[in-house]
Amino acid sequence: MSPEAHFTAVTLILGNSAAGAWMLRRAWSRKAGKAPWRWAGLCMLLLAIILAASMLGNGRGTFTALTLIGVAGLGVVASGYTIRPAKAGRAAREGLAPEPAERVPSAWRTTLRWSLAGPIGLVAAMSLGISYAVWAPGEAQTRLLIGGLIVPLAWGGAMAWTLADSRILRATAVLVGTAIVGFGAAMLRGFA
Amino acid sequence: MTKGTKGAGFPSADLVRAVLKGHSGLGLAFAALLYLICLTGTIAVFANEFQRWENPAVKHMETMSGEAAQAAYRAALDRAEGSVEHVLIIMPSEDRPWPTIRVDAKDGSQISWVADNAGRITGKVREGWTQFLTRLHINLHLPRSWGGFIVGLTGVALLSSLISGVLAHPRIFRDAFHLRLGGSRRLQEADLHNRIGVWGLPFHLIVSLTGALLGLSTIIIGALGMAVFQGDTAKVYAIFTPPHPAEDARPAPPLDLRPMFAQIAARAPRGRISYLAVEHPAEVGGAAMFEVDDGSSRLANADSYAFDRQGKLYHEQKAAQNNVGQQILGSLGPLHFGWFGGGSVKIAYSLLGLGLTYLAAGGVTIWLARRRDKGRPAPGWERVWTALVWGQPVALTCAAFAALFTPSVMPLIWAWAAVGIGALIAAALFPSAIVSQAGRAITGTLLIVLAAVHSAFFGTGDSMALIVDGALGLTGFILLATLILRISVPQKAVPAERRRA
Repeated sequence: MSPEAHFTAVTLILGNSAAGAWMLRRAWSRKAGKAPWRWAGLCMLLLAIILAASMLGNGRGTFTALTLIGVAGLGVVASGYTIRPAKAGRAAREGLAPEPAERVPSAWRTTLRWSLAGPIGLVAAMSLGISYAVWAPGEAQTRLLIGGLIVPLAWGGAMAWTLADSRILRATAVLVGTAIVGFGAAMLRGFA
Repeated sequence: MTKGTKGAGFPSADLVRAVLKGHSGLGLAFAALLYLICLTGTIAVFANEFQRWENPAVKHMETMSGEAAQAAYRAALDRAEGSVEHVLIIMPSEDRPWPTIRVDAKDGSQISWVADNAGRITGKVREGWTQFLTRLHINLHLPRSWGGFIVGLTGVALLSSLISGVLAHPRIFRDAFHLRLGGSRRLQEADLHNRIGVWGLPFHLIVSLTGALLGLSTIIIGALGMAVFQGDTAKVYAIFTPPHPAEDARPAPPLDLRPMFAQIAARAPRGRISYLAVEHPAEVGGAAMFEVDDGSSRLANADSYAFDRQGKLYHEQKAAQNNVGQQILGSLGPLHFGWFGGGSVKIAYSLLGLGLTYLAAGGVTIWLARRRDKGRPAPGWERVWTALVWGQPVALTCAAFAALFTPSVMPLIWAWAAVGIGALIAAALFPSAIVSQAGRAITGTLLIVLAAVHSAFFGTGDSMALIVDGALGLTGFILLATLILRISVPQKAVPAERRRA
């Protein structure tokens, strides 16, 4: 693709994305009749992705569109900023941003919680990824790569869960159980 | 999770507060690493442009013939001291329009040369700053497996924060367009944090997932080898890499690459060789692997070919026939660094990366502001955080400055570490407002001086070096402007219904 054609494609995708984000903001700012603007905005964003995929290739175009939609959306948000009066601070504070939960300080619970989020979560996530790689059908490279992607996703999910869950023994049991079952299943079969 | 309120919708208020607690704790635990990795990643998007900035006098070329590549490779081998393990030849490309010939010695030392289009070596490649920056991002200049693991872990923490961030803010999509500046610092920061978080979400997910996988690959492969290959990780690598010819360490003349270039031209007439790696060039068991861009629009578009010493093709993998796993593997790097859509995607990545960096810094600012609001200020942590946030731009600029005087990486690491530590010491002596202003003033001034000194002493032979100098100078002026001018923002009325919301 020539640089000129690429520039045209990117301009078109960015313009479509900005139009989609603007329509969504119209929906957001209206008291009534939101639905047509919302659907139009979502369709424009979808169109930006389809256009990008058709002009730049499926993978390259889709990821280009996802990136440019983010930039266009932030541009639309920035263009619609408002100034909050200093006095409104206290009133606004009451209606927004919930406070994080307070927990009774406990050294062993804190240690266990971070152990679950860290090494135990890693081992459990590894066991899921590896047992996927071992048991799932398909080409070896595909199973290994998808298994590899499962590891950070599962570990991230485990971190989010264990740092929030107050029933820490349940989380321990689930993660340890997952690790044992996952690694056991992987070792039982071996990689073929 | 904590028990939800009976009858409440999903997510319940208790769930939100519990998840917010985890989100806050995780963000604080990884704040400094997240900030550093996001900041360096944002700058590293332009690694190729920085390499051109470091070598503005090198002659450009669009392509390099097989004859010239052979001559350059032989000349680089002749200059090597001791036995050579590998030679990596990076061919000219649009992003970096000259060839690089890197010689890896058996003792682990490396030296990179640049050649002209006749294959004559014209000098060493200067890549101190680019290496410093990319290695800081990839492994924090720690031993590669440990550094990679820490960076991968930080990627997982970011991924986890994205999950908990969405769960902890039930209104995050409903409020997708609220940007209320002024008033309470905490609420302003929360608006910025949430808006950047929601609109950059696809980008944040892509870079954190790919970054985490790249960083954790060593440990994942190690665990896989342990679990199913009796500890033999080489078997895991062998699934992804071309096979090697049988080891034979008997000495032999250097491999002749020219017949291989000719074969590739015949097999892939539309292809463009990205790089080739020559293994054991002076041994009977030598081989050469070629990566060839097939010219398609696929994200992973590299064909690979491997030849033995006699020039016999013993491995061929076409990108068009890649399975899903091979496509994912080939896409990880381009997707992580934004190297898949030309300059526009790089600029978009840098803007969104800057947003992610702000997200990492702003999370701590919100926590500090919340403590202040609740009557439990933490002035010590406020100073430390300000010193870290504004000390890093100063430290990175000093490292870039040091790169003007030395081609090696080590002095840059020392400069960066000394300035970073100096900023933290300053936090003990000055209030955070002074540290913040000083950080901005020093970074801004240094960037302007860096751009001026670079263009004056290194020349303006490459338009990209001029663009980089211009961007550095402009960034410096913007930073100084935030100090000198009080930017007046036109007042916009907040609609009544939005104020009530």
